[in-house]
Amino acid sequence: MSMENILEDEHFQLLAFLVASARGCVDEPPTYGPLRLIDAAEKVISIIEKKYERKLPELEDVKIIIEKARNVILTDEEEFVKTLDELVVKVSKIIKRL
Amino acid sequence: MDIIKGRRSIRSFQDKEIPREHLKTIVEAGIWAPSGSNIQPWEFILIDDSTLIKKIKLLSPGLYGVPKALVILCVNKKRSEKAGRLGESLAIMDISMAAQNMMLAAYSLGIGSCPIASFNKKALRELLDIPEHVDPVLMISLGYPTEWPTPPRRRPLEEVVHVNEYGKHFGR
Repeated sequence: MSMENILEDEHFQLLAFLVASARGCVDEPPTYGPLRLIDAAEKVISIIEKKYERKLPELEDVKIIIEKARNVILTDEEEFVKTLDELVVKVSKIIKRL
Repeated sequence: MDIIKGRRSIRSFQDKEIPREHLKTIVEAGIWAPSGSNIQPWEFILIDDSTLIKKIKLLSPGLYGVPKALVILCVNKKRSEKAGRLGESLAIMDISMAAQNMMLAAYSLGIGSCPIASFNKKALRELLDIPEHVDPVLMISLGYPTEWPTPPRRRPLEEVVHVNEYGKHFGR
């Protein structure tokens, strides 16, 4: 693999996001930790869907819940935590069915 | 008040270029912000190169969407130290006022913006060859919004404002 096109590689993009987030989380508000993790989760979904070359409905549902969590993080922390719970339950249901 | 109340933080942008003249207007609004002792401790780095924006985005977890331009607002420490021990905090105030000017100017041109503090300073220093005495403290993303979000709740005047004595509020 050439390093020339690595900027376009979603794995590399995730790597950069993770290391920058790790440093950022040291100084940022505590809720930004889970925020960065769900942002990273969304990037992972994109990588998975690219691998399978199609949208996967159940993962699309996960993305919707991630977006919902992001929308409430600054306005309603309690709702944010509830949405994170919803996210875990959603992913657990996917795992259970396999 | 319409411009002040209308501005929103935009995190999703259209794929539409911003004319360079408008970008110049936006950064010019920054230099007209108030500045303690008129020290103007700021340096603004305007980025409208899409490849560079992509690289900066990789190391800026707080940067959402794909903006068409970025302004990196920096404190020039050689200038800010002229204000003595207050220099550092005054510089942050000055930069904040400049940032608000820029975001309001952008909004007046139909351009969305978002102030971002969640970026890696060392990475930015490396990417943009920023010298040691210049400290990047805030980033503003710019672009035409895909939508203007509804405003979040604001703490009411009756709660925030104290009239003549702390704890005495406007009547409801």
